[in-house]
Amino acid sequence: MKIDVHALIGEDCITLDDGQKVHDLILPELKAGRPVEIDFERVGVFASPFFNAAFGQLLRDLPGDDLNRLIKVDNLNPVGRSVLKRVIENSKKYYSDPKYRRVVNRVLDEQAANA
Amino acid sequence: MGRAFSLMTLVRRVLAVPTINDDPPDFDRLFRLWNLVNDDYLEVEFDFSQCRFLRQNAVAFLGGLARLVEYRGGKATFDWNTLQDDIHTNLRQNGFMGCFSAGRGPWSGNSIPYQEFQEKRKDSITSYLKAKWLGRGWVNLSPTLRDAIVGRVWEIYENAFEHGSSPLGVFCCGQHYPQLHLLKLCVLDFGVGIPSNVRMFTKKETVSAAAALRWAFRPGNTTKPNGMGRGLGLDLLREFVKVNQGELEIYSHEGYGQIKEGRERFLDRSTFFEGTVVNITFHCDESYYHLVSEEQTDKLF
Repeated sequence: MKIDVHALIGEDCITLDDGQKVHDLILPELKAGRPVEIDFERVGVFASPFFNAAFGQLLRDLPGDDLNRLIKVDNLNPVGRSVLKRVIENSKKYYSDPKYRRVVNRVLDEQAANA
Repeated sequence: MGRAFSLMTLVRRVLAVPTINDDPPDFDRLFRLWNLVNDDYLEVEFDFSQCRFLRQNAVAFLGGLARLVEYRGGKATFDWNTLQDDIHTNLRQNGFMGCFSAGRGPWSGNSIPYQEFQEKRKDSITSYLKAKWLGRGWVNLSPTLRDAIVGRVWEIYENAFEHGSSPLGVFCCGQHYPQLHLLKLCVLDFGVGIPSNVRMFTKKETVSAAAALRWAFRPGNTTKPNGMGRGLGLDLLREFVKVNQGELEIYSHEGYGQIKEGRERFLDRSTFFEGTVVNITFHCDESYYHLVSEEQTDKLF
């Protein structure tokens, strides 16, 4: 699968909702072991919420080695790449630190119960 | 906008707006005004007879106060006749007068327009930042660097909408200081404030406002994880401000955080403001922007 991010999202990749759109497209492919190519040509602005949703949460479902093998990112500018790397670093910590996740999930469960 | 209310007699208050710069005592003056209008059914008139200067933070804050009064069933007016000529020009130029009366403006100058965003609409906000704040020719930046700044500043808006939860939205105003080569932007909301969110999330009611702000700036800390790793926005912004040797100040409840000249400090102050104010200062000089290029062949995950 190939994704033209500019066509799908536009020139600013900054919101959680937009990141979720990318995530929802690529997750089934990745789970099936099929490669995805994501092209960021003409995308200029990047912020962490977009990458959290698009890429960070993939680590919940698939190991990093599989993601490295299956995902090819093209034309991502250096600023975008540095934000993405920070997001993935943070996400790895989140999904690999059971104590941290337990605290966060407990809070989420309580929020859901009170909703 | 505004609460449904029956026929009520509004309580009239005339508030004298003092001269307001953007140092901590100036924010105290703004927070005192907030205390005076934070009641239902007020008819507030802002009088500028004693005001000699207003910075971007004051303009954004006064606009927000007027909307807060309206939201609480009251009425807010500005006595434009009491304005000094130069402040009058500035408030017309930055669109503030046009927003609250039938005045003309905004037009090009050193002012960056006063703006209200009731919803998190990324196109409106990024256009404002790109075209009105950075795209006026006073910052000689490549498109890549411009986009990098917009991305980092977006994190402020993201936080304000996501965590502030204010029905009034977000208020902002900026100013360019050509002789100082500085660009300023103030973004604020009248929401629940960062300390309140942090105390609720961590279940530590006794955490000081300063400690809560410090917590919010640590990478990975967020009060809205949504089932995924989050909480990098303020850290990325802090890193960028340090690289630029700029300044970032944040006020929320009694808490005050400052990042300046590479150092950061978090304090508890005596004045309280329930919402959150972020005031940032960037150097317009290209030499202050050094972004590290990442090795393109590195593995991502």
